[in-house]
Amino acid sequence: MPSSIEPIIHIDQELCTGCRRCATVCPVDAIIGERRSPQSVDPQRCVICGQCVQVCSAYAAEGDSRLTRRSDKLRERGQLSSVHEPLFAAYSTGHASELREALDDPKRFNIVQCAPVIRVSLAEEFGMPFGTLTPGKMASALRRVGFDRIYDTNFGADVTIMEEGTELISRVMSGEALPMFTSCCPAWVKHAETAAPHLLHHLSSCKSPMQMVGALAKTYGAKAEGVSPGDIFSVAVMPCTCKKFESSREEMTVDGYREVDLVITTRELAQLIKAKGIDFNSLPDEPFDSPLGLYSGAGTIFGATGGVMEAAIRTGYELVTHEALPDLQLEFIRGAEGIRTATVQLGDLELRVAIVAGLKYVHGILEQVSKGECPYHFIEVMACPEGCVSGGGQPKLLLERDRTAAYAARKASIYNHDSTLKIRKSHENPAIIQLYKDYLGEPLGEVSHHLLHTKFNSRSPKSSGMMSSP
Amino acid sequence: MNNGQANSFVLADPEKCIGCKACEVACFAVHNRENGVGAAAGTVSVPVIPRLYVIRTDSFMMPVQCRHCENAPCAEACPVSAIRQKDGAIQVDEARCIGCKSCAIACPFGAISLFRAYSGGSEYKNRHLKKRQDTTLERKTRIIAYKCDLCRGATPPEEREESGDKSGDESGERTPWCVSVCPEEALTLMTPVKEMNARLAAVRRL
Repeated sequence: MPSSIEPIIHIDQELCTGCRRCATVCPVDAIIGERRSPQSVDPQRCVICGQCVQVCSAYAAEGDSRLTRRSDKLRERGQLSSVHEPLFAAYSTGHASELREALDDPKRFNIVQCAPVIRVSLAEEFGMPFGTLTPGKMASALRRVGFDRIYDTNFGADVTIMEEGTELISRVMSGEALPMFTSCCPAWVKHAETAAPHLLHHLSSCKSPMQMVGALAKTYGAKAEGVSPGDIFSVAVMPCTCKKFESSREEMTVDGYREVDLVITTRELAQLIKAKGIDFNSLPDEPFDSPLGLYSGAGTIFGATGGVMEAAIRTGYELVTHEALPDLQLEFIRGAEGIRTATVQLGDLELRVAIVAGLKYVHGILEQVSKGECPYHFIEVMACPEGCVSGGGQPKLLLERDRTAAYAARKASIYNHDSTLKIRKSHENPAIIQLYKDYLGEPLGEVSHHLLHTKFNSRSPKSSGMMSSP
Repeated sequence: MNNGQANSFVLADPEKCIGCKACEVACFAVHNRENGVGAAAGTVSVPVIPRLYVIRTDSFMMPVQCRHCENAPCAEACPVSAIRQKDGAIQVDEARCIGCKSCAIACPFGAISLFRAYSGGSEYKNRHLKKRQDTTLERKTRIIAYKCDLCRGATPPEEREESGDKSGDESGERTPWCVSVCPEEALTLMTPVKEMNARLAAVRRL
């Protein structure tokens, strides 16, 4: 994996025509260049969200002899030589070639986890309609690609709810460091570290679900499987280009081992499946492996904007009131790009929440928090316009106008998946109950603190100090 | 649609064009559904061959494409009558095209290109014509003329409606994809008779 300073988002100088459409979607003004000239990315500002990769339409024309050969470009981009799709100017460093080599090593115990939204978008890479739900085919494909265990980031999302929900309640009770921001989105975390280092204590100390699964796989999972953590090769399939950066952060290790060794995007997984000659559309449905592959509906909705909040409220409500939540579908939290706010009655507590979908909308809230005028207790921030459904590593659409329909269909599919699952609350997931009983003890306990929580570093050019979360 | 009137054509405004090539990508995508090209870039397994091209000079950029000439010199030059006036547009019948390049030479706008033909996602081969490949003889890939067909051969409109497209005007003429996807609205479908009427009306108001 790249070190944390190595850039992941690039603009091919040969292909960029300087239209600057990428600059219009960049939430942090990290695209630099004159109109009509090739652009470049400022790695300090860039939050690696990959929205520029999604919007770019300048491509390498067939037979243009002035260009570097396609095979050289693919190698330079870290992509498999079998990739047929057009090469666009904006791209993210690929790791499918590296993964393919690693999977050929028989000594390793290869595990993989998939983010909630991979199962509602992967099929689009094989020509199926937007939002087609394929968890079974995905597990089946991953097994055929060569993984020994198929785990799930959704399991980590359920653990996150246990930890973050408990953390929120404890902060609300003590009145300390409010509002609390979610910390699942690495692009938001990187932005907070760069643009608002003085507010880092407002971020939940929870690692992201991906890192939690990585940490648990090399500890709890390794024990259950009877393998040495050093022999485990831990891979994550993510809708997000910034997850590549997150996994390479220095602090994302457990007992000396990297929690996640390699991250590939939805698009890269599809490319790998094609390279292996697997006919995705005709694969049978197969299950995930237990216990790290078992999830609730709450874990699944993390992929859409407002999902973390909805999942947290489903559990938080019951932790505080000791009563069952009357209605599980919290429609008032669901939505699209922009800011949504709500007040939720948890027993005597009136919990004020906000959801930020799209990093460009967060600046006003950060200012409010700086001035001590922010009225919310809990704020979910997702850098991409509609959460992970619209991530930079998701299938890239050839027609910009399909975007709305694709995001809506992926979201609807996620909510549909949740509504058909038997268990829809993280604290009712039997694998989670077992995990706390056998291994973690209690949320925010000593083991949790060691494995699942972290601290954030200032990346501001002005200060180099480290700030830790409470 | 045409009713014996002058053909429509797409015209670009170089003042507005930013050179993003979204028009080229869209043109390719909607003309290659039979080659397995879906909504996602990952479904593309054939080279991107659009029917319009963004040209660049030091001072401006703009897409250039077929003007659908009334006395189309490309059609006049075609020895096998593969280029015909149909549904108000000058269209190439790709199955009849022999790749002789006469049309490309005759076109005053450089709006015709010759590239490999694809069918079902793979190169479309000639039946008998072969070429030497290392030590063996292989069937030669067909080379055909590609040009703008005003989206007459593109994805049907009902599929577009699913993706939220409500384009098209009251006369029933469909807006070509390049026009509807341009983020800067640099492309316009010019319909001569409408244009003339609008200008006459403007003059009368003076």
